[in-house]
Amino acid sequence: MTPLHELQRSFAAAMVGGPGERVVPSIATGISSRGLALYRRLIRNNYVQALTVTYPMLRRLIGGRYFSTFARGYMKRYPSKSGDLFLYGRHFSFFLFTLEAPRVLVELARLEWACHEVSQVAERPALNLGWFEGLAGVDPACVRVHLQPTARLLRFSSSVHVVWQALQVDGIAVAEIGRPLPEEEAYLLLTRVEGRIRMAELAALDYRLLTAMADGKQVDEVERMAMEVDQQFDFGRFIASLMEMNALVGVSMETHL
Amino acid sequence: MALHCPTPIPARAGIGLRSHHFREIVEAPPPVAWMETHPENYFGEGGTALRILERIRTGYPLSFHGVGLSLGSTDPIDPTHLRKLKVLCDRFQPTFISEHLSWSSVDGRFLNDLLPLPYTEESLDLVCDKIDVIQTDLERPLLIENVTRYLTWPDSTIPEGEFMAAVVRRTGCGILLDLNNLYVNAVNCHLDPVKFLEAIPPDAVQEIHLAGFDRVGRWLVDTHGQAVYPEVWSLYQWALYHLGPRPTLIEWDTNLPPLAELVEQATQANALLGACHDTVA
Repeated sequence: MTPLHELQRSFAAAMVGGPGERVVPSIATGISSRGLALYRRLIRNNYVQALTVTYPMLRRLIGGRYFSTFARGYMKRYPSKSGDLFLYGRHFSFFLFTLEAPRVLVELARLEWACHEVSQVAERPALNLGWFEGLAGVDPACVRVHLQPTARLLRFSSSVHVVWQALQVDGIAVAEIGRPLPEEEAYLLLTRVEGRIRMAELAALDYRLLTAMADGKQVDEVERMAMEVDQQFDFGRFIASLMEMNALVGVSMETHL
Repeated sequence: MALHCPTPIPARAGIGLRSHHFREIVEAPPPVAWMETHPENYFGEGGTALRILERIRTGYPLSFHGVGLSLGSTDPIDPTHLRKLKVLCDRFQPTFISEHLSWSSVDGRFLNDLLPLPYTEESLDLVCDKIDVIQTDLERPLLIENVTRYLTWPDSTIPEGEFMAAVVRRTGCGILLDLNNLYVNAVNCHLDPVKFLEAIPPDAVQEIHLAGFDRVGRWLVDTHGQAVYPEVWSLYQWALYHLGPRPTLIEWDTNLPPLAELVEQATQANALLGACHDTVA
């Protein structure tokens, strides 16, 4: 190990290992422990700030003090692996889960991470009705539709999106959110329309159909799934609503030789 | 949008571009000469921020000020980070691309802060090798910025200004002179800013940063969360006298003020730059 490598490794250990961790004696000579403490604080603040940017509603719900406590725990368990902090915080909901935090916090974190991803993913040209008109005469058993890279299908154990939406209003009191949350599962479709995140609550069947589409099932098979559950299901309207949400990106056709 | 070449940045004042001010800037473009932003904030492949940056780029020359390449780290350069930076540079054609003379990762673990290097021959070799790789990859020169420090490594054998001068000589890179950092280091670590300015090659300085600091106990902390302090304005006047007029950025990243206050700070810098232009003429 070179002297510089030794110094950097030792310094990093002193930063993330807490105040008890010391820089190796050969390096520490003449270094101000106050300086080290200041760096420790600055680094910790950077991570708390990065998580605050990604999880603003979670922070608003639990308050800055508890949020910082969680963030410091996360920092120790999940060290940053990149100079780009966009990816930092990917495991925050899992971290809260392992702490046995209330389920609403875990699910709110999942929802916010999905929003974070959707906000920066590259979008592809949206599917419009013209695509379908061009498919006249094509065997529906050969056709698949594809979801936008900006679309996310999410399933929650409760209506966490209600909390998320309530928290959008700055300064709202937690008591105003309205409790208790409905116990039934919630299904959401997140998309990005003209730069803004859109969140739609889906019926269980819609979620199942969209999941099947995302898994690559042919359009006629997805339609058959719908009809098996609800013979009145308006499949055309379902597709139109997905297009309106900018959730579909294209169609592919298999050719049978 | 594809731009074919960078737009020259005049020796006037610019401001840091932060998402907080996006709407205001798009609706009423402020009277500043150029803007600077952290490229890492645009590493996503899509989204509103990129779209807005495209709009702003059509009206202003742009400078990219990186925080994640970790020039002084013993870890190799992160190829993904460098690739994303190159894609962004090819798309937006910034006039300047700068990075900090610091380190932030070791053994694959990132501390995501601008940590001070010991100024030794080993550090010099390492930094120069990395700058060579980056400049080759980006096909343009890099500017390196002097950083703040809250400790001094006893193993340092080369004064900071001489270290930067050696990096410039060996790699052909330029210097981004951060005068707030220089002042903060002078107070915190008793370093001499005048000596530093005398040690760096004047022609290499292509950009100047001005910012504000906060007082935390006995420390001045480089928070970029205040207006520029009078002591830093004085240092700026000295630097302009010593170097001549240079593109100057008002850097303000935390505790963000209304856009008008940033523009006012830029106006103040422009007044000093104007006086300097007159003297040079």
